[in-house]
Amino acid sequence: MTERHRLRSLLWIAYMNGVVPMRTQPLYLLSILASPLSFLFFVTVASHGTLIFYGIAGGMILTVLSVGTSLQTDMSHYRTDLKFQDVIVASPVEAPIYVAGIALSELIYSLPGLGVFVVLWRLNGPISPEAALSVVGILLTVWALATSLGFTLSTYFNDIRETFVFSSIVSLGLSVLPPVYYPISAIPASVRWLAYLSPTTYAAFLMQGAFGLQPLSLPSAAVDWLILVLAAIALLAIAAVKARWRDP
Amino acid sequence: MPVAVEARHLSKTYEHRGGKTEALTNVDLTIPAGQVYGMIGRNGAGKTTFVRVAATQLTPTSGTVTVLGYDILRETSKVRARIAAVPQESRPLYFLNVDELIFLYLTIRGTDPRDARKRTDAILEELGLASVRKRLVHMLSGGMRRRAMVAMVLASDAEVLYLDEPTTGLDPIARREVWSAVRRAVRDGRTVLLTTHYLDEAEALSGRIALLEGGQVRLEGTPSSIRDRVHQPYRIVVSGVLGRSELESFGTVSPVEGGFLIFAREAPARELALLALSKGAKVSLGPVTLEDIFLQVVGKSIDADDTSEGDGKEGGA
Ligand SMILES: Nc1ncnc2c1ncn2[C@@H]1O[C@H](COP(=O)(O)OP(=O)(O)O)[C@@H](O)[C@H]1O
Ligand SMILES: [Mg+2]
Repeated sequence: MTERHRLRSLLWIAYMNGVVPMRTQPLYLLSILASPLSFLFFVTVASHGTLIFYGIAGGMILTVLSVGTSLQTDMSHYRTDLKFQDVIVASPVEAPIYVAGIALSELIYSLPGLGVFVVLWRLNGPISPEAALSVVGILLTVWALATSLGFTLSTYFNDIRETFVFSSIVSLGLSVLPPVYYPISAIPASVRWLAYLSPTTYAAFLMQGAFGLQPLSLPSAAVDWLILVLAAIALLAIAAVKARWRDP
Repeated sequence: MPVAVEARHLSKTYEHRGGKTEALTNVDLTIPAGQVYGMIGRNGAGKTTFVRVAATQLTPTSGTVTVLGYDILRETSKVRARIAAVPQESRPLYFLNVDELIFLYLTIRGTDPRDARKRTDAILEELGLASVRKRLVHMLSGGMRRRAMVAMVLASDAEVLYLDEPTTGLDPIARREVWSAVRRAVRDGRTVLLTTHYLDEAEALSGRIALLEGGQVRLEGTPSSIRDRVHQPYRIVVSGVLGRSELESFGTVSPVEGGFLIFAREAPARELALLALSKGAKVSLGPVTLEDIFLQVVGKSIDADDTSEGDGKEGGA
């Protein structure tokens, strides 16, 4: 395949798994919004409205994190139950194209959900171009991180039920315990160090900075970015090692 | 004759927690291009393992396999550009309709969208799927769904197609719907490697047949040459008058409903038929079926399952 063919192939996979199901099963789109919106609701109500922006920023991160979970379940399901991966292996499509295509498809599928949070953001005040740009950059990095992790996890499970159990544990560790929905100061000081173990904490700091919720100095923003990007690269590398196109 | 798939000394041993399973042992096989090649064998005989190795989905333990002259390990991308597969028990993504299943498979493979559109329309028309093109594939009947999966690989420009048990679990009418699609595939010079445990299907479709048992090729050839190579190429069914002991001098006897089935060579077969007729017994004489050959070579019915002891006849998976 030439570079042009590869790109086209990737985009058709993304269309197949990201756009077609929106049309066939529009109700499923709502399920993506279920947990981010309920967290937003609780955070907003519990804080009497003062933390609504934390809830919106957290909702965006959680939505993109759930893209990793969707990738994980789709990859397991398509490989083990539908044997769709075997159909693709016995074709000119290369492994990275397949994985990237599915990863992009899950992002596309989450766009309507993200749109809801953008609307909520806009309804609560103006959005500066710098803030919008940072948010896009942060979310794309979280996407790379979440889909790499999802892919790696998908290689461990042959049973879709195990996948579901495990992915809810992972999303708990990545989105609920770290300060994605609230300021880190809300976490008791004695266990705060735990939050620093999760890469999503740095994504949250950057988001909260972009929303103007926490003052973010340039050096600390740079450190947060560095950690977030390194985490994404590390997870991507692990995924590449775990990738297995031909069974042993 | 050009060769589509060639296996030399191919072995595959699966390693798993419980130990090792030797699924293929020193298999030599030459699959000529341009016809349906039927691979038959009981559950666990090694059919899927062979297909998956040849389709670049599974790594062999030893030996070589080439597809259209390209090595599956060293020239993988050249092989993959020329093959397409419908894996055993594969199902379409549940949100695709028939049209999308085929069209998107083609565009993902790299076919130009305009060409893919034409190919999709043509194959839908040809295989009688045009009226269900907007239906979700997983809502179709089993026969139509399999047919759509076969149509998908048929529409591609792949030269070698792997169909692993495309008709298992289908009723006889649905199976025939798939057959017409398989026949269509080889009309334009392509090769189909078809596995099945329906012997009539292998016989109806295949130019050549390989019989696998225990990971080894036990018989190989055209359906008629396979008949020539069995020991006792005639089957005689005798009901009444003659007892088992009288029959045993003619060939191999086994009891069947209301009488005996005897496999015999030509001369004793003729002799036995005349004797039975002269004594007023009911008799039928004919060439052995593939079913009979399987029984002779393997010593078990193709539906017999090693894991379930007993009458051996399973109701089909
Ligand atoms: N992934 C696997 N791990 C371990 N053993 C396997 C695996 N796949 C197949 N086998 C074993 O290899 C043998 C051949 O299986 P298979 O090729 O699926 O046969 P068939 O397709 O003819 O039914 C069987 O004994 C089966 O249990
Ligand atoms: Mg099989």
